[in-house]
Amino acid sequence: MSFHHLDQYAHVESPITSTPPVVRLLATVTLALGVSTLPLGAWIQIALFAAVVALVAAAARVPATVLLIRVAGPLGFVVLASVALLFLVPGETAFRLGPLRVSDAGLLRFGSAMSRSAVALGAAVLLVSTTSFPDLVNALRQLRLPRAVTTSLGLAYRLLYILSDEIERIERAARSRGARPVSGRRRKLLVGIAAAALTRSLARGERTYRAMLARGYHGEMHSLHSKRVDLRSALLLTALILITAATTLSAYWTG
Amino acid sequence: MNALVEVVDLTYRYPDGTPALAGVSFSVEEGDRVAILGPIGAGKSTLLLHLNGLLLPQAGRVIVAGIEVTRQTCKEVRKSVGLVFQDPDDQLFLPTLLEDVSFGPLNEGRSAAEAQRQAQAVLGDLGLAGNEGRAAHHLSGGQKRLAALATVLVSRPRVLVLDEPTGNLDAEGRAKVAQLLRHRQETLVVATHDLEVARAVCGRCLVLDRGRVVASGSASEMLADAALLERHRLHVPLEDGTQPDVTGSRIHGF
Repeated sequence: MSFHHLDQYAHVESPITSTPPVVRLLATVTLALGVSTLPLGAWIQIALFAAVVALVAAAARVPATVLLIRVAGPLGFVVLASVALLFLVPGETAFRLGPLRVSDAGLLRFGSAMSRSAVALGAAVLLVSTTSFPDLVNALRQLRLPRAVTTSLGLAYRLLYILSDEIERIERAARSRGARPVSGRRRKLLVGIAAAALTRSLARGERTYRAMLARGYHGEMHSLHSKRVDLRSALLLTALILITAATTLSAYWTG
Repeated sequence: MNALVEVVDLTYRYPDGTPALAGVSFSVEEGDRVAILGPIGAGKSTLLLHLNGLLLPQAGRVIVAGIEVTRQTCKEVRKSVGLVFQDPDDQLFLPTLLEDVSFGPLNEGRSAAEAQRQAQAVLGDLGLAGNEGRAAHHLSGGQKRLAALATVLVSRPRVLVLDEPTGNLDAEGRAKVAQLLRHRQETLVVATHDLEVARAVCGRCLVLDRGRVVASGSASEMLADAALLERHRLHVPLEDGTQPDVTGSRIHGF
């Protein structure tokens, strides 16, 4: 179940994991909002936010390589979404890529989008790496998200585990009968695996739900690790919000 | 006589119309250890789901600890009945073993500290101490079985209902589970087609086939009746097992 490794640092004792999940969630949202509202080319402020993310990662004992690898995946989608800026934004020619002209304004927008996204994704990756999913759902509940949403999230999380497991099992069975990982029939095989996994996981999901009901579940997920927000955490969060706001505003004043 | 579990004329059809249970009746007294034997597809799992209120009778009645199982009472009934599912992976759905075992007590309204204390105690009793922070997929098959049992025992049910507790286990795992069950004090209802385990754990047996109770009696009598077992596609045990020390076991009203 590879999904479990997403929050593999949630049970590592650190100043970050001892902070209540709701504070971690709010701090992540604050950082992400702060960095994403920076003006174009606010490199110093972006570097400051990146330093905060790096410090938090070190405090949470999340290795830099793990953080970078996890950021790289979703950052690829940002590249896809913003690469056109390089060529479409009008401005002075910075350099040419074959027949395509890259403008300096396009370069500035692309660089800003990439760096701001990388920092925001870094904060989000740190959150999910250091917080178990049940704790995240509880944090959302503390923030008064509707119960239907939080319960659906909890169930979806379990189904992801189930689906991942089923796919692994079916794929292993297919390989044991000679299916090669790379072949012309691979795509057809994957479609078959996905269909079989879906059917199996529907039945599995129903059985899991029954097992939950049998142990007293009535629509509300409780967590063993729910933590109240203490004074230290509240002060930390307030300080982070103020620093983030000051950093972001300073970019507008100095820019 | 007040039975702890009473099933009267229970009938159930699957949504596609296939009959699963056709007029099943029996009762189990406090302290009984009852094996429900039957081939695959006999209706054993469907019957067990009724004891916990996960399925409601389409006809007939199920009464547990004096409460008739209905949509309104099923939550109350579940406090008395601990149901261990056939596949431990269905039952272990949270990221760590400690969270899984604490799930029941937390739903009962216990504080996180109390739930954690109870879970650790049960895991210790079952020899799983030290595995609290491990994920279910890192456990062996035997450990998963014990962990699934722990998730139920932590709530101290009056009736322990187990669906194929030794399925997919090797000889050592089966022996461990059988030994553990023999020493439990709770009333036991065990659905299995593992006749050796049934003989080692239970004092009474009933045979279910095609949704009907076709025979019942003491484990020693039933498991010695090779013709009966063969007729209902059950494998005869190869060697004699020790009879459990069960007294006063009764199954009535077939």
